[in-house]
Amino acid sequence: MIDWIKKINKEYPDFWKLYLAKFESKSNRYVVLSTETTGLNPKKDVILSFGAVAVVNDVIRIGDNFEVVILQYKYLHDNGLSNEFLIESKLSKLAEPQAIQALVDYIGNAVLVGHRIHFDIEMINDVLEKMDCGKLKNEALDVEIMHQKLLDITNKSFSLEDLVKHYKLPLNERNSASDDAYSIALLFVKLKARLGFK
Amino acid sequence: MSNSVAENIANFLKEYSPFSYLSHDELIQVTTSIGVINLDKHKILFQIDDKLHDSFYVVASGVINLSVIADAEETLLNKCYAGDVFGLRPFFAKNNYMMTAKAREDSIVYAIPITVFKPFVAQNPQVLDFLLESFATNTRNPFDKENRGKLITDNVYTEGQQNEIQYFQSLAYNKTPLKVSVSAIAKDTAQLMTENLTDNVVVTEQSHPIGIVTDSDFRSKIANGRFPLISTIDKIMSSPVITVPENVSVAEAQLLMLKNNVSHLCVTVDGSDKSEVKGVISEHDLIVAQANNPGVLIKEIKRSLSPKELKLVREKLTDLIQSSIAKNIPLPHIYNISGEIITAIIKRSIELSILDLGSPPARFAWFSIGSQGRKEQFLLTDQDSFLIFEDVAEEKYRDVKDYFLKLAKRTTTILEKVGYDFCPNGHMASNMLWCKSMSDWIKQYNNWMKTPGEKSNDISSIFFDYELVFGEGKIEDTLDDLILKNTKNNALFFDYLGNDALRKNAPINFFRKFNLEEEGDHKGKFDIKNRAIMPLVDGARLFAISLNLKGINNTYLRFKQLAIVDPKFSEIYLNCADAFLILSKFRTLEGLKNDSNGDYINVEELSKVDKEKMKNAFAPMKELEELIKDKFQLTQFS
Repeated sequence: MIDWIKKINKEYPDFWKLYLAKFESKSNRYVVLSTETTGLNPKKDVILSFGAVAVVNDVIRIGDNFEVVILQYKYLHDNGLSNEFLIESKLSKLAEPQAIQALVDYIGNAVLVGHRIHFDIEMINDVLEKMDCGKLKNEALDVEIMHQKLLDITNKSFSLEDLVKHYKLPLNERNSASDDAYSIALLFVKLKARLGFK
Repeated sequence: MSNSVAENIANFLKEYSPFSYLSHDELIQVTTSIGVINLDKHKILFQIDDKLHDSFYVVASGVINLSVIADAEETLLNKCYAGDVFGLRPFFAKNNYMMTAKAREDSIVYAIPITVFKPFVAQNPQVLDFLLESFATNTRNPFDKENRGKLITDNVYTEGQQNEIQYFQSLAYNKTPLKVSVSAIAKDTAQLMTENLTDNVVVTEQSHPIGIVTDSDFRSKIANGRFPLISTIDKIMSSPVITVPENVSVAEAQLLMLKNNVSHLCVTVDGSDKSEVKGVISEHDLIVAQANNPGVLIKEIKRSLSPKELKLVREKLTDLIQSSIAKNIPLPHIYNISGEIITAIIKRSIELSILDLGSPPARFAWFSIGSQGRKEQFLLTDQDSFLIFEDVAEEKYRDVKDYFLKLAKRTTTILEKVGYDFCPNGHMASNMLWCKSMSDWIKQYNNWMKTPGEKSNDISSIFFDYELVFGEGKIEDTLDDLILKNTKNNALFFDYLGNDALRKNAPINFFRKFNLEEEGDHKGKFDIKNRAIMPLVDGARLFAISLNLKGINNTYLRFKQLAIVDPKFSEIYLNCADAFLILSKFRTLEGLKNDSNGDYINVEELSKVDKEKMKNAFAPMKELEELIKDKFQLTQFS
């Protein structure tokens, strides 16, 4: 209700209007997203990088990917952290609003998939709020929950590493958000097949 | 926009043909268009008669089986491992898939769109060559491990066709036959043949063949006095000679020989007897041409110069075993052949080590023990062996022992490269404990047999299934005598062995259900080795030693022999012999199916008939157990 009022009162940025318009149709595309952050507190911590890859018809589309490093010079400086990794990274770099805009353009109306994806979404929503946009409207699937469902366990949590080992997936070095996203994507297609949903 | 996942995949692919021919940038172009597919175990990627996909595939992890189905039977064509390319048909053909690609274990494959890859094929002749070669190789290629990651054939040959192709291959024959003119004298001709070590000579007139003289002609015409030694050759030759053109196939040659009842064929330029002689095909050439026959394999082993070559032969042996079992050749027969071949491999490995190290400083004997000692080995199991060297002067002892340890280490390493894992219990000649002088071994056996269970619990009954592989026969005789001497009036020893044989867990429970593994890697599977086969092996050994059956190590033969020497219980022994064969067959099939040692069987995959068959095979075990309890009063160790 409040969202709806806001919508009347406030003029959204153009990219957000485009994003909302995409939800008129349903998507068969899944975007596997991994977010690297400075910590676990959505209010205080910031996003450092995104890595994402799409899954369509149970096939991971390597070409349909998204990765970006966010230039958080201010945050790093304020907290006395090293910004070396920003400088050394070969990935494309964007300032926070541009990065979020690019991400929103990329995901469109796809279903988001991640490991503890709700935290990622919360982080993104926080930034979106600063940018005078609404919250992400995408459906979201969590591989950890899918795994728990498959094994019928609810009282145990599984790190990404646990899951990769459990399904005997090839271990990569896992040093970037993209590598994580790829691992999650492999987990996702496997879990999706085992749970048998379309 | 960057894409680090594509980079990672490019780094993986560049290790393998044909991707190694592409530049990094080109590879990135390819990998950005890749689709990654997850295949759970037994999932089918495409099957025969499916419409062609728009991609071909590279295995990223796991194993994909390529197979065809003929006569309702699935025949494995090839196994693809990480880096192998398959599903190339869309590149070259428009019709549907001719084979099935199925994940043998959880696998991940990369799908590379044909449209993306085609330009690289056009620009890069090496890539094209590779793909064409992979697609068009006429042989099924499991032996081509040298080219792993290079060649995966995409053509369809069932096992049967494969044999036929072998059958229709052209064969190697003597291309420089001995020739004499019509006017040659028989005696001179015989001398000429002797000097050239051949059993035949072609009689020619203006280089056209008009007849052939073989050993049998000399036997049937000269040696029995029908013709004098000095007759001319045309009197005794077989004429006309059967002629064939060059490149004749094995099948054709065989038919011609049968039809004309001859043992030799003459090869001429145009296949008629009015042209020049090119060679002679003998029956022996035909035998050699049937590759994968045991004789040829042993010959190959003897010629091998590296572990790699031996490995290839071992792989052919696996094929031979597989096809023999498929053809229902009796198991004991296959045991014999494979036992001989494996012995030859071990022998050759020792020879290779000796070639490296120089000749041994003392006489020695190398023994195989365990399954190979019993000649019951089909699958790649672990290696068990020990070495005895003759007693030497004390001051030389250290050097000698040193040499043999080195020799054993080298040999076991070669065998490991061939595919035999090291024994997890260290029962190998390369272990200080099992590489000893004769007198040390005598002490060892005395210890084992006179005070069993005292010093070490693992007296390892496998040390009583030994077979001489290499070295002095006399050492083996000494060992035989020693054991025989020690078994006399040695109730304690049999008590120990008997208990050892009975200690194994029962294969089925009270309700006639299989006792499956409850934990560990093989949870839910049936341990056929320890629960079913070993009790029979142990029992056979116990009776064989107690009844002094020398020189028979094979469990099946032991039971057969026991039935003869101990007729009172012959029925039990014979039942055990059959049970042993049935259980071994299950194990072998399982091992061949999964490339494992076959110790654990997935009972759920068995048909109902097979399950019953297996359970019935457990029945004689019970009888054998009772017999053991009855014969040897087992008290001390129970």
